[in-house]
Amino acid sequence: MQEQMTHLARAGFSRESVLALSERLGEPAWMREFRLAAWETFERLPWPAPADPEWRRTDPTMFRLEGIRPFADAPAGALPASLQQVVDAWQAPAGLLLQRNSQGVRSQLDAGAARRGVVFTDLHTALRERGDLIRENFMTTCVRPDETKFRALHAALWSGGALLYVPDGVEITTPLVSLAWIDADGVGIFPHLLVIAGQNSKVTLITCAASPPGDRPGSSIDGGGPGRVEGQAFADPVTELILRDGAQIRLVTLQEWGSNVAEIGIIRSVLARDAELRSLLVGFGGKVVKTNVESILDGPGATSEMLGLVFGDSRQHFDLHTLQEHRAPHTLSDLLYKNAVKDRARSVFSGMIRVLPGAQKTNAFQANRNLILSGGAKADSIPNLEIMANDLRCTHGSATSRINEEHLFYLMSRGLARAQAVRMVVEGFFAELLDRVPLDDLRARLQREIDQKMADDADGNGKGEIPTRRPVRSEERQPAL
Amino acid sequence: MADLEIRDLTVQVEDKVILKGANLTLSKGEVHALMGPNGSGKSTLANVLMGNPFYQVVKGEVLYKGQDLLAMSPDERARRGLFIAFQYPVSIPGVTMSSFLRTAVSARRGYDKELMPVGEFQKLLKQKMDELKIEPAIVSRYVNEGFSGGEKKRAEILQMAMLEPEIAIMDETDSGLDIDSVKVVSDGVNRMLERAKGAMGILLITHYSRILHFIKPSYVHVMFDGRFVVSGGPDLAEELEQSGYEGIKAQFEVIAAEVQAEGAVRRAGKVFWVAH
Repeated sequence: MQEQMTHLARAGFSRESVLALSERLGEPAWMREFRLAAWETFERLPWPAPADPEWRRTDPTMFRLEGIRPFADAPAGALPASLQQVVDAWQAPAGLLLQRNSQGVRSQLDAGAARRGVVFTDLHTALRERGDLIRENFMTTCVRPDETKFRALHAALWSGGALLYVPDGVEITTPLVSLAWIDADGVGIFPHLLVIAGQNSKVTLITCAASPPGDRPGSSIDGGGPGRVEGQAFADPVTELILRDGAQIRLVTLQEWGSNVAEIGIIRSVLARDAELRSLLVGFGGKVVKTNVESILDGPGATSEMLGLVFGDSRQHFDLHTLQEHRAPHTLSDLLYKNAVKDRARSVFSGMIRVLPGAQKTNAFQANRNLILSGGAKADSIPNLEIMANDLRCTHGSATSRINEEHLFYLMSRGLARAQAVRMVVEGFFAELLDRVPLDDLRARLQREIDQKMADDADGNGKGEIPTRRPVRSEERQPAL
Repeated sequence: MADLEIRDLTVQVEDKVILKGANLTLSKGEVHALMGPNGSGKSTLANVLMGNPFYQVVKGEVLYKGQDLLAMSPDERARRGLFIAFQYPVSIPGVTMSSFLRTAVSARRGYDKELMPVGEFQKLLKQKMDELKIEPAIVSRYVNEGFSGGEKKRAEILQMAMLEPEIAIMDETDSGLDIDSVKVVSDGVNRMLERAKGAMGILLITHYSRILHFIKPSYVHVMFDGRFVVSGGPDLAEELEQSGYEGIKAQFEVIAAEVQAEGAVRRAGKVFWVAH
């Protein structure tokens, strides 16, 4: 095993690495073949080019693999304090999974839920114990390896990850939590989350991806080979949600990477008849993040609420592509993305509503609001529609604005310092969204993190300072009366 | 020395001069009514005193307790006891009244890092809301969002009651209120005056004299075309109620023409013109 590991570290991204990984994990032959086929697809597909429509606003070279290792073990021993804190932040979840670097290190599930047939475990364990379920659903119907180069790479090199399976009719009221943590330099991780919610089942899942702040991920050195890029990390996650008839999922995806992580990922859901997904994507961390969030409304009566909250600061870059695809009649999608950018951060929202022929009596709503907090920050909004049905209700709108000076004056006239007033307006901007998520602890946590992002201003480091406007004084200006 | 001294205040918005040398002194314990037709500059004066950045002071000075008010940021003015009840309060989406009020009261009371303890705050809020007959549900709503005209005005007075200012400017608080609401608001303001025992002064800006039946002013001023043109006692308000602004307007036009021609200080009837 040590030999395989060394091989993996040296081989970087290669067919040999794929084979070594599969062998090391002791996988069934079909998964090895699946990985090798995906690797061939990866080699066959071209790298994204700046001219590709999906890549017009994000430089593809930000996702270089040079110096990145496709696998890194979780260090043995107790969790470091910073990670322990991340784990402890979740109070009494019904289940908790922790992936550290490329490996699952913790897996727990409420005994009652387990008795009722719920499976919540890392994907390798699931592959051994529920191989049939994985073989049928893993990158077969929802996300496929041949969609893009990075998806193929994920299919070839996935590790860690999680399976959440909720049997028909089972309802779990307490949230399940799945955490991913990077603290090895130069690692690339490929976590795969597969959620299968049976008929009329109900579950809440919170995923949280995080790594130490600062320019380097942690201090843990576990055998990085020469040539690795110090302090860079790469994440290529895929989330597949399969909602059977009448299934209800509430999903929160919390992204809190340190400032050295580049992420390119997708969250896609396929909803059968009367299924209901309520999702919230939160983007706080990372250096450059390109995420697709897609809902496929495949059965009549399906509903997808898609909320997004992004707050970029420093030089962060967020590129979000959303898809609301209506394939069946009487379906509803309701999307609201609120992005705030500060310092020299940039956000891109590109949203597509697609209504296929026959998807009549559809309601599709899309709204994107952006708040620009600094002169050097930028937010783009690109709504798209492809409507092939003729009996539907569809609205889309976007608005990008700077912070409203009249609002600030009102708050300041009551004694709030400017930075305090700005913070309050920003909190208010996000409140409309957070008020739609009935998870009190989570809301309080997000509120704190938003405050933290704003606090840089209050400290007067000047990065995101909004120029103060005061009345022009008589000494300064003497007009002819 | 008066607590608030406005000297030759000249203010413009973009390129239009709105205030053309306003003068006024006001001290705690006094209620000054400021009347005048629409567009005479009353609201501009109120906004400039609070530090609204959209108005530019081009000349003159304002001393607040002997210090240069115009050099202070709006929040500093507020923390030092100046308050304005806005004529048209803006709504702030996503910010609840209760969190806003608690932050504001904490700032006014000098809490630096922490906010005022929640229990103490709730007690104070409940008392003030009862006195002003304000629906408790209002505090969980977003600031002024979807408030009726009357609710907005009452919410402004609620803020005034919570912040306990030393000098309060009420900018047409009575406009758009039915008579019952005017009474409730006036009762609230009178209660504040009573409790302050001479430690609060009010500049009560109004277009109509109706509210002056409930809040008794010590002085009445009339503003016209960016200037204070008449000052007097409470009887001036009654006179205006009967004659309207037309009589003053005629007198004003007479002296305006003479000042234009001769550059002198003039007086015609009650109307005066002070040159500096």
